[in-house]
Amino acid sequence: MTSTTALPDDIKSPGSVADPRRTSWPVLVVFLVPALAIYVGLTAYPAFRTIYDSFFTIEGLDATFVGLDNYRALMSDETFWVAVRNTFVWSFIAPILDVSTGLLLALALYAGVPFARFLRVAWFTPVLLSYVVVAILWMWIYNYDWGILNELLRVVGLGALAQSWLGDPNLALGALIVTHAWKWAGFNMVVCLAAIHSLPREVLEAADLDNCGWGAKLRHVIVPMLRPTLLNLYILAFIGKMKIFDLVWIMTGGGPLWATETVSTYVYKRAFNWNTFDLGYPSAIATVWFGVVCAAVIILNRVLASKDRLEY
Amino acid sequence: MALFSMLGARDPGATPLPRLFARGGLALVIGAYTIYTLGPFLWLASMSVRTTGEISLDHYAWPSPFHWEQFRIAWVDSNFATYFWNSTLVVVGAVAVVTLVGAAAAHALARYRFKGNRLIYAVLFSSIIFPPQITLISLYQILVDYNLYNSLLGLTLVYISLQLPLTVYLLEGFFARIPQDLFDAAKMDGYGDIEIFRRIVLPIGMPAIATTLILNFIQLWNEFLFAVVLITDPDKRTLPIGIRAFMGDHFQDIGMIAAGVMISVVPVILAYIFFSEKLIRGMTAGAVK
Repeated sequence: MTSTTALPDDIKSPGSVADPRRTSWPVLVVFLVPALAIYVGLTAYPAFRTIYDSFFTIEGLDATFVGLDNYRALMSDETFWVAVRNTFVWSFIAPILDVSTGLLLALALYAGVPFARFLRVAWFTPVLLSYVVVAILWMWIYNYDWGILNELLRVVGLGALAQSWLGDPNLALGALIVTHAWKWAGFNMVVCLAAIHSLPREVLEAADLDNCGWGAKLRHVIVPMLRPTLLNLYILAFIGKMKIFDLVWIMTGGGPLWATETVSTYVYKRAFNWNTFDLGYPSAIATVWFGVVCAAVIILNRVLASKDRLEY
Repeated sequence: MALFSMLGARDPGATPLPRLFARGGLALVIGAYTIYTLGPFLWLASMSVRTTGEISLDHYAWPSPFHWEQFRIAWVDSNFATYFWNSTLVVVGAVAVVTLVGAAAAHALARYRFKGNRLIYAVLFSSIIFPPQITLISLYQILVDYNLYNSLLGLTLVYISLQLPLTVYLLEGFFARIPQDLFDAAKMDGYGDIEIFRRIVLPIGMPAIATTLILNFIQLWNEFLFAVVLITDPDKRTLPIGIRAFMGDHFQDIGMIAAGVMISVVPVILAYIFFSEKLIRGMTAGAVK
């Protein structure tokens, strides 16, 4: 992740005495210390403290050392495992929906439809709305009595299919995934579009000369060449969904019957909402999840990126 | 696959499909998707200028007359003015500080060679994948310890730390592309390191800095989780948690909720109208390859 961004002129610049790429320590301190202080004080220290806290039961100001008890309790905590399952379903499957929608939209724009500029801006708009706004909007869309989804079903004579979309344990998670995809498809679209535009023209033109249809062109030329971008998008979407909180919390609060409980909402409930007055146990959940997210990102990076990079 | 062959309609090299049909099909799909993205938002906008009584008669009617006073009521009587100014204070403060601090660090990391450069970069950047809970619970305790819990200053500090990785990452990428010749020339003219930063990096990097500013602004304006944990006092609520609290108390008052939501969305939409290109570029900068 880091070595690829190394400065290009590193190699070229001679190691002369007045090397402009070197500077004195005080200058570096002035530039770097504010950022590092913020990082250490408000990111690194709290992270370590959470990990440390996970070995205690913390009630108010009293901390009692309990060793691995929190972790043992966690292993047999059914709600936690339901939350893990839901979050995994969401994180692994939903990105496919996001990225493929984004790619199709980008292709539609690339194919040269009229008003492409307007459409790009319009399709991107949901990305900018806050989760609170998106959640409220979609709670209304899913409303049983007057939500637009059920209204549409009734208009076309399928009123029998009208559902309480967020109230049914079998449907709630799917309903949330659709809402989340609605918000993020536009982001995937603009990234795919930028990547398509940076593809070398000759290759696409050669495909045209070979009388390659769009289906074949997509399968054999565009998708393979966009592979790195698509994988990046998948990983970005994956990370986002492993953290998902706002949307769930506002729309369903994790219900009905834990059907939409995610790890984030469960941590929040245990730490701040259930009045269990123990910050140690939620710290243990947060620690485990921290490890899982980091491991998943590293593994995904390895597995997906190690496949031979396409050269062009 | 049907959609892909429709896309071929405007492509001279593709097999000649029944073009009108194909083009019509593509237009239909595109039109439907546009309604899908913009429709809910327009629906929300229409409800914000209707009273709840009117809305419950017909949720999809055109507003007549336009009840602009809904916004005045939301602003004055429903406390949205307080939420709005709290949000403005916290977000503007955090964005200003994080951009300055992040730009300084990004410049040092992009320009100077020193031991540990890439390590510092990696450490700062890697926290971008941290799930928020890992810091959330402890930040709550820390802010309580330092009497910053339930204060806008505390929330501002936390917001600065939340946006730091992204800021450093984006600006480092841009700053590294400023040609070294400029710096060599400036050194020869006797510029000091701080002067170089102030008089060369900041002006030349302004487009990138502007992108980062807008991006940070929108992300923090929309932030919910840390605000809901770290703020409990109703007078200190920011817009996202203010709207959520209002909705909790007045679940049925759809017209007023819609007006409040519109108040929270307007700054973002304004930023988007003026800077849509910059914003889209900023958000895509990290993702392409």
